[in-house]
Amino acid sequence: MAELKSPDTRRCRYFFLYDGSKVRGEGDPTRDGICYFYPEETPMDKQDLLCGQLAGVGRCVSELSSSAVRILRLRRCKFAIRMKDDFFWALGCSMDVPTVSVCELLDHLINLFCFYNGSVRQSYQLNSKETLAAEWARYLSHVLSGPSELHYILQSVRTLDLTNVDPLLLLKAALILQACQRCPLVLAGCVLFRGRVVSTQMPPQLTIKVMVHETETYTKTQRSSGTSSPTSDSRPVSSTAVFLTPSELQYLQSAPVDKISSSHSAPEKDAPPKKTRLSRTLSDTPSSESTPSRPASCQSPQRASFSPHTSGSEDSVFSPAPSQGSSADSPNSSPPSPIHRFSYGRNAHQVEGRTPDESHCRNLHTGGSGVSQMLSEGDGSAFEESLHLNRGAASKTTDCGNVAFRDEKTAAGDGGVCCRKLRGHKAEMRQPPSGSCSFDSLEESPLVSMVLYVHRVNSLVLALLVEPRFMGDSASMEEVNHSSLASLNGLEAHLRAISPAAPGAAGPYLFAHYDSVQSTLTTNVSGRPGGAPEHPFVRATSLLHSHFFDTETLQEAIIRSAGTAVYGTRTVAQETYFQQHGGSMRNSGIPNQQDSAFSLPSKARHRLLKHGVNLL
Amino acid sequence: MKCLLIASESAEVLFHWSDREYRQNIQEKYGVSQEEGEGLPAFEDILSTLFAPIIISCSTLEDSYTSFTTENNHIYVLHQFDECLYIAVNGDGEEKEDDLRRKLYVLKKMVEVMFGMVTLSGNLLRRELRPQDTEQRARLWKYLQSLLETYSLLRENDQSFLVEAVERLIHPQLCELCIEFLERRLVQQLNSSVERAGEEVLHAFVLVHTKLLAFYSSRNASILSPSDLLALIVMAQNMYPSNVDLDDMSPEDTESTSGSGPENFYTPEPSPSSRSSSSSGKAGRGETPVFEFVDPEIQMAEDSLHTLEINPPDPASPRRVFLEVSHKDGPFPMMPHSMYCLSLWPGITLVLLTKISSSALAISVYKYLEEFDKLEKRLHEGHGGPASARSPLNMQDIRSKMDKFIKSLEPHDLQYAQLQNVWAEFKSRAFSRGGSGFNKDLIPWCKNMKTQLCGIYRQCFLTGSLSADVTHRLSAGLQERAQAMVREKLVDWKDFLLVKSKRNITMDFPGLVHFICVDRATGQMIAPSLNITERTTSELGKGPVAKYIKNKVWALVRTTRRYLQKGYSTVTLRDGDFYFCYFLWFENETGYKLQPVEIPVLPDDSPPIGMLAYDYYNRLLRYCSKSHKGENVKCYELLTVHLGVIPTEIILQHCRQLASKLWEPSRNPLLWRQTRLRHSSKGQGQMLFTPLEPQRRGQIPGLGFILLNKHWDVQKAFRTGQRLEVVQTP
Repeated sequence: MAELKSPDTRRCRYFFLYDGSKVRGEGDPTRDGICYFYPEETPMDKQDLLCGQLAGVGRCVSELSSSAVRILRLRRCKFAIRMKDDFFWALGCSMDVPTVSVCELLDHLINLFCFYNGSVRQSYQLNSKETLAAEWARYLSHVLSGPSELHYILQSVRTLDLTNVDPLLLLKAALILQACQRCPLVLAGCVLFRGRVVSTQMPPQLTIKVMVHETETYTKTQRSSGTSSPTSDSRPVSSTAVFLTPSELQYLQSAPVDKISSSHSAPEKDAPPKKTRLSRTLSDTPSSESTPSRPASCQSPQRASFSPHTSGSEDSVFSPAPSQGSSADSPNSSPPSPIHRFSYGRNAHQVEGRTPDESHCRNLHTGGSGVSQMLSEGDGSAFEESLHLNRGAASKTTDCGNVAFRDEKTAAGDGGVCCRKLRGHKAEMRQPPSGSCSFDSLEESPLVSMVLYVHRVNSLVLALLVEPRFMGDSASMEEVNHSSLASLNGLEAHLRAISPAAPGAAGPYLFAHYDSVQSTLTTNVSGRPGGAPEHPFVRATSLLHSHFFDTETLQEAIIRSAGTAVYGTRTVAQETYFQQHGGSMRNSGIPNQQDSAFSLPSKARHRLLKHGVNLL
Repeated sequence: MKCLLIASESAEVLFHWSDREYRQNIQEKYGVSQEEGEGLPAFEDILSTLFAPIIISCSTLEDSYTSFTTENNHIYVLHQFDECLYIAVNGDGEEKEDDLRRKLYVLKKMVEVMFGMVTLSGNLLRRELRPQDTEQRARLWKYLQSLLETYSLLRENDQSFLVEAVERLIHPQLCELCIEFLERRLVQQLNSSVERAGEEVLHAFVLVHTKLLAFYSSRNASILSPSDLLALIVMAQNMYPSNVDLDDMSPEDTESTSGSGPENFYTPEPSPSSRSSSSSGKAGRGETPVFEFVDPEIQMAEDSLHTLEINPPDPASPRRVFLEVSHKDGPFPMMPHSMYCLSLWPGITLVLLTKISSSALAISVYKYLEEFDKLEKRLHEGHGGPASARSPLNMQDIRSKMDKFIKSLEPHDLQYAQLQNVWAEFKSRAFSRGGSGFNKDLIPWCKNMKTQLCGIYRQCFLTGSLSADVTHRLSAGLQERAQAMVREKLVDWKDFLLVKSKRNITMDFPGLVHFICVDRATGQMIAPSLNITERTTSELGKGPVAKYIKNKVWALVRTTRRYLQKGYSTVTLRDGDFYFCYFLWFENETGYKLQPVEIPVLPDDSPPIGMLAYDYYNRLLRYCSKSHKGENVKCYELLTVHLGVIPTEIILQHCRQLASKLWEPSRNPLLWRQTRLRHSSKGQGQMLFTPLEPQRRGQIPGLGFILLNKHWDVQKAFRTGQRLEVVQTP
């Protein structure tokens, strides 16, 4: 679940942002430069010492090498460092977190801040340290809230456990997103349920950013109202200003979206990326290039029968249309209430909830051959706890996707701030300054202001990245609302009806499968307390992951200690780690064909097939 | 873009080395901030200025820095050894963090070999490393710099320095011949000569390039540790570089060292590395078959910054080295020896290690240093002094011994007087009624005593060791005779040896590209040669493919060390078109494979895994012995490179065969499972002898085995007909 844990102290020791411009003169106390320091309860003297020394040494080394410091290691702690203008960020983790992961975490943290607040410099000009400290704390706790250590090493999008979700529901989610996209002001969106991704059109890194907002809202709702029964307090539609990097924007815009004729665009969106897909990802494992024709014939009937059924039921249950009263099982399924006007001004817009147009919904479901394709993919990946990505994810594998990510990693930056915490007039004042530079100032790319539109139906959330003028365009809003509301209600009911899968008994093996294109992690490592037996596996995975990262040509590796043997393999798009339990380690380390360690590759191939991981 | 420096806590540069790119880089950095027209200060002062913030910050922070990486991949590695901060920098991507850390540790090792226990006193070491006299300083730094460069060159090109184990020339007959000669003729004659001036030859060995042809230790000698032997090979190589790089030169260049051509001094292209030019000079000098001693100092290449003319010291003077000695009371590190390095022919060197007459003093100094160190620790912890019953330190005993020790010293110099004064003060504070007794106030006096002891040590073993102290060394004539004797013995073998050193072993496994086997108990390795030059071909062929494979092997060793550090003793990797395997395992003397132990997981900044600077394997063996009590545990490593198309089963089969075959006596007697001699009280040996398989027991010839430790006694016993009891280990 998505509850935010307090940052794991074992993983993260320190995080701070230090502003060197505040400490120029001899007499300036170091603490003037400390913008944020975690753990916050650290004695001031120690904060001073760490910030002053690390920033000072960082500057000295940077001058010696004419390049910013990236990693700084102490004996018991390693720091990822970012230096930009006079800002100095440091994220200190324990030594067993791979260095590459620490760096990614820090970048992610800074990117999150910039996504919701815009330029760091400007944020600090306009807001108090305390306000922004709360922001940092928020993002930090989000970044560090992975369910297990593995999620920490392999940063991934948290997805719905698809093993017990009807693939048709995933399809439905995808279709909702597509329908919303008909509005030209909608860039892309994602559907989340209980803090997990059901479907997304955005690249993984962007999805993760969007999820922070949602997860928080969800958690707040949870806290305020106990278990999943949002009170009337939770507003169904909200919006917040966000800031995209130019590369993110370019990526979203470059997707082949036909914004005028909606129904025709669907197949085109899916088809090309499928061909260029590099990875043997979950979704295309069973459905090879030739299969899309298959579901067209054999699944269409299913879809035909399904679609009226679902839409009918969801309409009956959730639509305000008083045709049915069978909403006993969903007491909270109230008619969509009017969108609340946010106190802070122009970003808030009042849109009347409308009764979903049933025929519209139907149209959606028969939205073209893209549907059948989605179905086939859905079938294949149904066993996975994996992200079912539609257009957005698929096309990410095309050339622009990875490039976009690279940029994004280093991108953070300037721009206005317009988040919930701000007073309205401020938000209005601060349009993204077009000339200001982002974190990767080499490119001098300004952040672009966008709006994150969130429509919540109980635990289900539709999050859309929209052009700012969308919020002023009541016709567009209405259109989006129309096209999605009924389906959202239906989807929510179905997803809620799914009982959370009982944590499966750990098999005689441990595995982790990371899809680096989709940023999804499939694993049976629980991360539950008392997961000590899993620790050797996680440790080996961490080492192998670093090794794979460092050595491009490395394809597979087996490493064994006296008690553990772990097999790792990777392709361009994925990394898989496997450990077999038991199997006495009788051999003594000498080369021996009978050594059980060397049978790991074949065991992994067999065992993981049922998880949809194809290592052949 | 490489740099290495030692700094004191006050940011004083105690030693530095850097290549030309780095010097230029630093000078530009500094120049920018300086006024025009002013000449640049000394390079070490520039370094000191620029690095000062880092150095000072190191002592401010409680958890010290270990490394920095910048976005353009400059790497800085830092390590604090006692009061000295060592920093290594790389900006050209040729070295990784662990390479730099290893370099720091190697430099530390070299400093220890050169200065012995003086390194235990920060104050004295500072003065030693940075002499006031600038000429002396330049000379010392140049020597250390050239040692570092020699080491770096070996590490980059020589497999034995890659894995840090000694490589033997595999030729049993010749080894035997040679060892017998060293024992019966050379060492015997040297040690019975009156010209030896109180010195006693303990070890004698012959190197062919970096490979060991024969090693002989006299009966009174203790084991020479692999770490020390490797360090000595670096020093010998520094003195007489075998031209690893020579193969890359044009044909006319190499003629001067071919042994047949006319003496031909060539001038290599100017290069940032000062080594190539020095090597040419030495190679040329080594040609002349008459006795000639060339002191390393004058061979050092001109440094662009310091172009001092140094008067060559007496060429016959040995180099003082401090090596570990295992004594009946335990191991004593940093005991003084003299090293005589005699070039037989280019590429072939005879090394003699002698015990100097006053070395017993070093043992005493070490013992007292330890006592005061223990006392200091106890005082720090707040325990009481000797009065408390818990105290294991018998201070009264130490007191009387110390009194005697001081009396035994020659009371004529300043150092002696100082020691006496400090000791008197210590006694009055510690033992007298009016004194403070054993509490924290005594700590500074403990420190002071240690410094004084180090001072005595320095007085006895360091000052004058480099100057022409003719009275305490093998006479020049004696050295000359020794050289001539060995030359005469080996003259017929010379060319064979030089070729053999390039083609030590071949292999016959289809699909196997390369392998390295290491016996960690003895610190010996075996591997096909990997010469990758245009004109010489190795088993790998030549040109870019061989170079590629060489780079892969080097990377593999780094990788496997990384995994070993984290407790993984088996690693297989499919990388590009190759399949790499690494195995580390333990056996007992009989060759039975022992159950694997959990190898300790070490932090990232732990000392480098190897044997040269820090004997990781020795510690691993001791650790493993704990769980295999009563067994003489052996540790082996095998690395293989196969073509990726070979099925894994076949690869594993090869590895298995290699692992057993390479230690078969017929193939490689040098790696023959060691026999072990236990001295019985009567001085006679009791041999614990257990070959690979019981039926082979009769095969042990004993003769011809040149073993790096006590085991040489076995063969000697065989020859002298000493009675040996053969006991099967339990």
